[in-house]
Amino acid sequence: MLRFDNVSKRYQTGLDALAEVSFEIEAGEMVFVTGHSGAGKSTLLKLVGLAERPTRGVITVNHVELSRVRGGGIPQLRRGIGMVFQDHRLLLDRSVFDNVALPLLIAGSPREETAKRVRAALDKVGLLAREKAAPQTLSTGEQQRVGIARAIVAKPPLIIADEPTGNLDPQLSIEIMNLFAEFGEHGTTVLVASHDLFLLKRMNKRVLVLDHGRLIDDFRPQAQAS
Amino acid sequence: MSRQAERTARPPAPPPPPRPAAPRRARTPWRARTAAWRDQHFYGFFSSLGRLAARPWATALTVFVLGFALALPLLFFLAFDNARSLSAGLREAREVTVFLQPAQDVRAAAALADELRARADVLAVQLRTPEQGLAEFRQLSGFGDALDALDGNPLPSVLVITPRIEADADQPALLAALQADARIDLVQYDAAWRRKLSGILGFGERVVVVFAALLALATLLVIGNTVRMDIQGRREEIAVMQLIGASNGFVRRPFLYAGIWYGLLGSTLALLIVALAELALAGPIERLQASYGARFALHGLDPWAALAVAGGAALLGWLGAYAVTTRHLAAGRPRA
Repeated sequence: MLRFDNVSKRYQTGLDALAEVSFEIEAGEMVFVTGHSGAGKSTLLKLVGLAERPTRGVITVNHVELSRVRGGGIPQLRRGIGMVFQDHRLLLDRSVFDNVALPLLIAGSPREETAKRVRAALDKVGLLAREKAAPQTLSTGEQQRVGIARAIVAKPPLIIADEPTGNLDPQLSIEIMNLFAEFGEHGTTVLVASHDLFLLKRMNKRVLVLDHGRLIDDFRPQAQAS
Repeated sequence: MSRQAERTARPPAPPPPPRPAAPRRARTPWRARTAAWRDQHFYGFFSSLGRLAARPWATALTVFVLGFALALPLLFFLAFDNARSLSAGLREAREVTVFLQPAQDVRAAAALADELRARADVLAVQLRTPEQGLAEFRQLSGFGDALDALDGNPLPSVLVITPRIEADADQPALLAALQADARIDLVQYDAAWRRKLSGILGFGERVVVVFAALLALATLLVIGNTVRMDIQGRREEIAVMQLIGASNGFVRRPFLYAGIWYGLLGSTLALLIVALAELALAGPIERLQASYGARFALHGLDPWAALAVAGGAALLGWLGAYAVTTRHLAAGRPRA
């Protein structure tokens, strides 16, 4: 599903954010990326979402080699990836419904189907009753859940989340992570960057550990290793 | 770690063929595709209107700037166009007007007229006696009372000669003959000052074109700058949209519509300004022409020209918005 082959990223400032990182994630896997701040977690996710290009190495998403994706192919590829941001990045001048509907509007799906899928996604994150609300009137946890609903509404095969629980209390964090784990069980690949070690232990999933841009550990829990 | 080592040792597999870019879209029937296209345009149309309505003062200010910028060349054009239609009547006037010496009486004038009619290069000669001239002058000038105070008729006899030559050329032979004639006091030939008038009109036309070009450029820049500020305010929104897969067209569409709206609103205001100016000038011009005999009527923009102005302004707005968004959309490209 997702494959990194000797991927390095050096920013123009000279900073080596990632160095020779290689790993592979199967479809339907849920994987955490962790490490100290500045270890390269965000860079790794940005490379997957084509916000950045690697300096060296090959990244393959869903059998598509990213270096070959150019121009109009970039938005097309991004539509296959559900992105969740730490600060949710909702559009504040639109209702919850319109925020969640945005990826479907962009993809050009029919209106009736859009309404159905938006409500299904909101139902999944437990916010069906708030579809008409403005994002500012929601709590931080609810805003993050709207952000997740937006990421899953188009049923992308891959979800990437950068510190999705960074601003949430432990209880909410667990709830959000359980939500992600649930998507994984339905065949969606989930890649989550988080530095919350307590949470990682609790979730008991595969963890990629970055240190100064190098992949120093690829931990697989016993129960999941086959 | 051993897994990883194993993988790196493996010979690099040939990259799989890239999947078709849009496997889903290819299967969608055209009806659904048109529906999606329509929905996206609805979205651009209404969201752009909503954005303008959300900031009524800023929008009104921009529209006013555009309105005046567009109204100026239009007013210039109208003034010029009216002057040209006024001169069109004069263009046809190729008569040579001859004022006889006061000593020549009407009989001598008639004789001279017959003499001239016999010439090959003269088409017609019209005699205006001093009495006719006085009556005409009394009617047109409004100096009736003052003329009554005069002892006699100070006006000479006048011959209006229509030359036979059709081309817009001078008639040197005829003119020379007339000027050499001792019975004639003054030869006034319209072509000479007609040439001066066409010179002035040519200059006026150029002025209108230059002003129109400059102010069209100003319109483009004003709309471009307004859209640019709008983009600055929506930087975050655009970034999010691009990250979740919005195409350039999708991001750009509301801004293009906004540019079209600005153009249409600005040109509507400009046409309104022109109409008001016409209304304000109509009264004085009517009084003026009443005193000179109704030879000239002020005319405004015809509906097609008004439509062309609105369409042109909308196009300028679209162009300005397109140029500015193109510059900004590059920010959503992956950074190397």
